[in-house]
Amino acid sequence: MRQKFHIDFIKNSKIYFGISLGIMLVCLILNIFVIPTRVDIQFTGGTIVKYSYSGDLKEKEITEVAQKATKDTISFTFAENLASSDSNSHMVSLEFTNAKAITVDEQDEVTKAFTDAFPDNNFKVEESSSVDASKGANFFFKCIAAVILAAVLIIGYVAIRFKKIGGMSAGVMAVVALVHDLIIVYFVFAMFNMALDDNFIAVVLMILGYSVNDTIVIYDRIRENRKKMGPKATTAEVSNASMNQCLTRTICTTITTMAAIGSVLVVSLIYNIDSIISFALPMMVGLISGCYSSICIAVPLWVMWKNNSDKKKLEKEKAKKSAASDAKKTSSKAAASKKADLKKKETKPAKKAENSVKLEKEEKSDDASDKASENNTEE
Amino acid sequence: MKRVGKWVFFVVFILILFFTYTSVFGIYGENGDYSITYIKGIQDIRWGIDIKGGVEAVFAPADGVDATDDQMNAVKSIIDLRLVNQNVTDYELYPDFSNDRITVRFPWKSDEENYDPGEAIKELASTAQMVFRGGSEKDGEELLTGKEVNRAYVSTIETGNGNHSIVVNLEFTDEGKQKFAEATKKYQGQKISIWMDDTCISAPTVNSVITDGKCYIEGGSDKNGGFTAEEATALANKINAGALPFNLKIESYGTISPSLGTYALTAMGIASIAALCFIFIFMVAVYRLPGFVAFIALLGQLSVSIMAVSGYFPVFASFTMTIPGIAGMILSIGMGVDANIITAERIKDELWTGKTLDGCIAKGTKSSLSAIIDGNITIIIVAIILILVFGPANIFSSLFGVSTTGLIYAFGYTLLVGVIANFIMGVAASRLMLRSVSGLKFLRNRRLYGGKKKS
Repeated sequence: MRQKFHIDFIKNSKIYFGISLGIMLVCLILNIFVIPTRVDIQFTGGTIVKYSYSGDLKEKEITEVAQKATKDTISFTFAENLASSDSNSHMVSLEFTNAKAITVDEQDEVTKAFTDAFPDNNFKVEESSSVDASKGANFFFKCIAAVILAAVLIIGYVAIRFKKIGGMSAGVMAVVALVHDLIIVYFVFAMFNMALDDNFIAVVLMILGYSVNDTIVIYDRIRENRKKMGPKATTAEVSNASMNQCLTRTICTTITTMAAIGSVLVVSLIYNIDSIISFALPMMVGLISGCYSSICIAVPLWVMWKNNSDKKKLEKEKAKKSAASDAKKTSSKAAASKKADLKKKETKPAKKAENSVKLEKEEKSDDASDKASENNTEE
Repeated sequence: MKRVGKWVFFVVFILILFFTYTSVFGIYGENGDYSITYIKGIQDIRWGIDIKGGVEAVFAPADGVDATDDQMNAVKSIIDLRLVNQNVTDYELYPDFSNDRITVRFPWKSDEENYDPGEAIKELASTAQMVFRGGSEKDGEELLTGKEVNRAYVSTIETGNGNHSIVVNLEFTDEGKQKFAEATKKYQGQKISIWMDDTCISAPTVNSVITDGKCYIEGGSDKNGGFTAEEATALANKINAGALPFNLKIESYGTISPSLGTYALTAMGIASIAALCFIFIFMVAVYRLPGFVAFIALLGQLSVSIMAVSGYFPVFASFTMTIPGIAGMILSIGMGVDANIITAERIKDELWTGKTLDGCIAKGTKSSLSAIIDGNITIIIVAIILILVFGPANIFSSLFGVSTTGLIYAFGYTLLVGVIANFIMGVAASRLMLRSVSGLKFLRNRRLYGGKKKS
């Protein structure tokens, strides 16, 4: 089989685990102590009104005028208004922080206060959104239910699919990688101080669907190569070969997907459109993470698990055998298992031989069906 | 392998170009001063409020009143009526009966400079003012108000000769009963009109004095001069709206100005062109001939996606497109190439084993199918869930209530359409093209497929 890359993913796996855990740890600490998570008013309830105005005004003046017009406490965010052809146009965003929907009348009062105080500055409502707290909570539960439903369906699919390719253990590792990606997506929102909103739910759902794809493709290759490479190849060797063979595809697909979502991100950064940035940026990071985690997390973890369980199986068998043959001696189990450890290397080939018989059988039946379908296409 | 005719490639190629062109630009004709739309293009897409600017609001009965389905229908019809009165025709209205919510979305009116969306929302939620007046004029004597109406409902009556006609029944409260008896006495043989916020919704003639507080209204546009079922229901709903025992409250609302939206649309347009250009260069550079074929298929996929939102085929209703929807379309282009990449990689692999070109293409396309299906199934699951969460009334929203925002709905939709289009174009059409094109002599060089020169 043609293979462009020769990277030992399994050997380096500890580095990858370290990188992932390190990033998560740093983000977690920052998240707790420096940048707290913000939740959008879509979930908490509350009101945000964005005004555009022209000309130079002191921020303090604006905050004072607005604060006088309402009893609620307001937090302000100022920005340039890039959407306007007027180069001296600005935006101010008012968030009414008491988590309740203000009425249209209350909002009108603030607007009126602005136009009265600054009649020459063209104060205009560009965007407003107001959500009742109870409705926000309902929407939040709806989103959570959707994410859970999606997770259940995806895990169900993984379970069915992995029965064929790597067994339960591989499925579990695929889910671990998935959780890894979701955590990364969450931290993108937290670190860039983007409020958790409908975009967050959309990205989480999307990553739920996307992340297991790469993993499934690689496990499919592993199953195929297991047959081709024969019983002598270790799990690590087969996995490495499979990942390297898939690497071109993984890289190319990631590049085209990145090109698509990346151009959305770049353009929205240039045009400064917040609602798209908070969609495209986490999506992009999530997609990269999805691809990284299948190669650097899911498969190496599975190989570790597999080696470990193989070892345990051998120990058990050995322990049984020695217990049976040395029935008279009342030697402790610890001694037996020590022996097993010592003899592990010798017994490995024997174990592998057993496996190979099974594999050959599988291969034969698979080959037969392959031939049958080939005949069909050649007709 | 069964050979595919050489002409197939050109047929598919030209068809895709045709679909791409028409789905983007549409086909329009002129008939004198009128322009006729034969096929809808991008300019006919119904843009969501985040692009056109507009208003989104959710109304609910105030004070936690548990409204009946009939009452919710009444609420819907009054909002309908008011929107039409405000000259808003391009609106979306989603009642949610299980949670007693009603969601309204409508775009900014393009002709009005100083449109006040806040005012519009307030007007929609204001208490319906229903008045019965003597005569058919607006300044006629005020006889009864909506408070004195118990309910209105539709039924059929026999009109003799075995004919039936549909009528709208009215039931008054005890107070209304008396007032109505007096009114019918006074206006017997004349008209009594029913007014809803300054709009006359019905003006029946009084045939007799009615003292039991029950009457029915006949007439309408049916061929026998009676109501059609729809007309009758609409009228009954409107009357019920005037008699609603509760006020509406604005539970959440949002407004977006049009300047912000058009700006975002330009940005997304640039993004999609940039993405397409990059993918074209990348695919041709890396995969050569299969890469070129993949790009043509991609254009086809894009045109199918556009068709699904623009109403290209009149059978499929047009869809309200939002910015996340466009993002979904662009994303599905990027992911759609995956099918072609997997296939092209497999063909490359096969070529290195030294088989014949046809054999390699056959084997490569066959062995890649399961991976392609794998990749798409999970996306389909997710897309459907996105549609359920953010979409208007469906099973999911009857459990959890309507969403505070519906912009992501289009993302789920374009994602789902993208996957389906990908199977049609990226898988089926591109395979057909590849097999066909590999029959052309000058394109049989193995290097064009990523293989070695000649084994």
